[in-house]
Amino acid sequence: MEFVITQLAGFSTSLIALVLDPVTYFYLIPSVFLGIVFGALPGLTATLAVTILTGFFGNKFPLDQALIALIGAYVGAIYGGSYPSILLNIPGTAASAATAMDGYPLTKQGKGGEALGLTTTASFIGTLFGTFCLLIFVWVLLAVSKNIASPEKALLALFGILLSGTLMSKDLVIKGWISGLIGLAMAMVGLDPLLSEERYVFEWSYLLSGFQVVPVLMGAFAIPQIMEGARHAIMAGKAPKVGRIAPEIGEVVRRMPTILRSGAIGTGVGALPGVGEDVAGWVSYGVGKAASKEGHKFGQGSKDGLISAEAANNAAIGGALIPLLVLGIPGSPPAAALLGALKINNVIPGPTIDPALILHVVAILVLASLTMLLMGLFTARVFITILRIPQTVFLPVVMVLTTIGSFSVGGGINDLFLMIGVGFVAYAMNAMHYPIAPLVIGVILGGLFDETFRRSLLISDGDLSVFVSRPGAAILLTLNVVLILSQIPTIKRFAMRLRPGG
Amino acid sequence: MDDKAVLRTRDFWTALVLLAVSIFFLIQTTDIPFLDSKAAGVDSAEWYNSAALVPFGIFGSLLLLSLVLLAVAIRDGGAGRALSAVSVGLDSAELKRLAAIAVILVCYIFGLVPRVDFIIGSALMITCLIWGFHGGSRVAMLISSIAIAVPALYATIVHFGRDQWAKPHDDDWVTLVAFVILTAVMFWRARRDPDGKTVVRITPVVAVLCPLILVLAMAFGFRQNVPNRTGLFFKQIEYHYYVTVKPLFQGK
Repeated sequence: MEFVITQLAGFSTSLIALVLDPVTYFYLIPSVFLGIVFGALPGLTATLAVTILTGFFGNKFPLDQALIALIGAYVGAIYGGSYPSILLNIPGTAASAATAMDGYPLTKQGKGGEALGLTTTASFIGTLFGTFCLLIFVWVLLAVSKNIASPEKALLALFGILLSGTLMSKDLVIKGWISGLIGLAMAMVGLDPLLSEERYVFEWSYLLSGFQVVPVLMGAFAIPQIMEGARHAIMAGKAPKVGRIAPEIGEVVRRMPTILRSGAIGTGVGALPGVGEDVAGWVSYGVGKAASKEGHKFGQGSKDGLISAEAANNAAIGGALIPLLVLGIPGSPPAAALLGALKINNVIPGPTIDPALILHVVAILVLASLTMLLMGLFTARVFITILRIPQTVFLPVVMVLTTIGSFSVGGGINDLFLMIGVGFVAYAMNAMHYPIAPLVIGVILGGLFDETFRRSLLISDGDLSVFVSRPGAAILLTLNVVLILSQIPTIKRFAMRLRPGG
Repeated sequence: MDDKAVLRTRDFWTALVLLAVSIFFLIQTTDIPFLDSKAAGVDSAEWYNSAALVPFGIFGSLLLLSLVLLAVAIRDGGAGRALSAVSVGLDSAELKRLAAIAVILVCYIFGLVPRVDFIIGSALMITCLIWGFHGGSRVAMLISSIAIAVPALYATIVHFGRDQWAKPHDDDWVTLVAFVILTAVMFWRARRDPDGKTVVRITPVVAVLCPLILVLAMAFGFRQNVPNRTGLFFKQIEYHYYVTVKPLFQGK
């Protein structure tokens, strides 16, 4: 109990400092607004919002100020995706795809405003729930992570890439793994971290420092969206009229168990390395369907269904930041962009992270969710109007944003060549149903995996038993092996037969 | 043909490409010292510390997975359909549209951004993408692609080397003329298209204001690097910022 009180006291100090600083609002209000706009416009994503802002802030701004903008945009964009899902049946982001299942039927029943109000409140409470979990669990895990050495780090990085590849793949699972391997391979370019040996440089000095994170992020997430948007322009059209948006307090209180259950699921799924808000939304929706009294109405305009998806995807934000801050392993694609921002500011997340930074992040999350709530309830009609902007108009603007953002971080034209190259590859991969998130997570974690894997073997003089002799490493190795084996068709069939009634 | 059949046909080709790529990089990895890592006659590292260890694992796994993908594609009939363009799920109209987008992006990034004023180059790119793809007109798409390809090719050919990028502004002028002509053509063609008139009207505003505001915010607000600081417009803006505007605010 004393631990919780100490944490809450530290958090309060950080929150008050943030609230009393006028600069906070200068970054927070525009970034949450921008985030909601990015989420609301189909074709723009939360990852893109965070990535573009990472390019803008680079390392020339104090990190604590840049984080306000980045986290504000992250929170806003995950919530903003619900607008087109509910009003137009077009998910603004992958995270809000499950929202459309019940949100749009509610709009067709003339309850669009009510749906938006409930979504806003559920997203707010969901974000706060995830943030509270972050505040508590990050310290517990940080204490544990002090015992984590190179073997565990290497296996955890591998687990993050494998898990992301497994869960993000819409077609064959091996496509997710191939995507992760391509990311890992990209991370091998340049001087190796232990011996400074040149790898795949092809006598081009630019490649000596390896692939920069921001151009890779921009290329992987922005260019395919721009190309797809120009190829199949989605004409969002006019949103239907919505009535009163502010929800009834009684309704919110009645649905509090669903919100809290979804918040818990969202935080848990978000905390899995490399998974993210979209999976959180769907898992929570599935659980909600089984657990809710009105489960049979899911898909026909159930408010419980709507809340299940929305509270979970916003709670996943706090969850995704737990592995990011504790281990330097992003819990979601936008968290990967956030890790890019930390990296270019020379902040290394993990056991040695500055505790003040964690409290600062938590305080920002609380303020950002509050800003999101106020904007959602009082300026929703602005975002509904923004839905009418055609994709073909805003995507070229995004191209300019990504170009200048990518150029600014590195300051070189080569970064733009890298961005466009990665973008074309990512577009082709998208077209063939290869998930892009494992590639990006592979690029980000590749260096860590390479260094810690070899360091483990160096410590043990090449003895591979180092990966089983330590309990933590043994558990992680088992998880990796089980994850791979569970995807092999023969083993899957065998496991099905072992199930009762299988 | 269903989506899965198309996907497996594409998977067949992808598996072959991945096989070739992984074999190429496995061969490249053999250049990195592995089992015999001696430098200047001294043992520099053991195999387990070699910089080639993880890459061998990565490309070996990639080779294995591409073989699995190939097997899946062949089992599902992807190999049999592989030589037919239709089976890959591409029709010529789709390909042309995709090629036009790629041309615009490549011309912008490789030709214009390094050599031409960022505001002018971006204005042209924005106009090309909006007008070329908003209404789905093939003619607009073709004109847009040509409008950006001509100045990009000119800039690339005339000022190819890096030492030429900040040189005279002839390529800036060529791009500016291309932007003006494209805008004029866009308005001329929009006379008979009442539906697209709103988008046509806002296109020049978005095309000019967006890069202008961005470049000003980045260069003077966020204090970040911006491409081509010696460009036709930006050079003037920067000059007047430091010589006219800033002293004014500093009361000099």
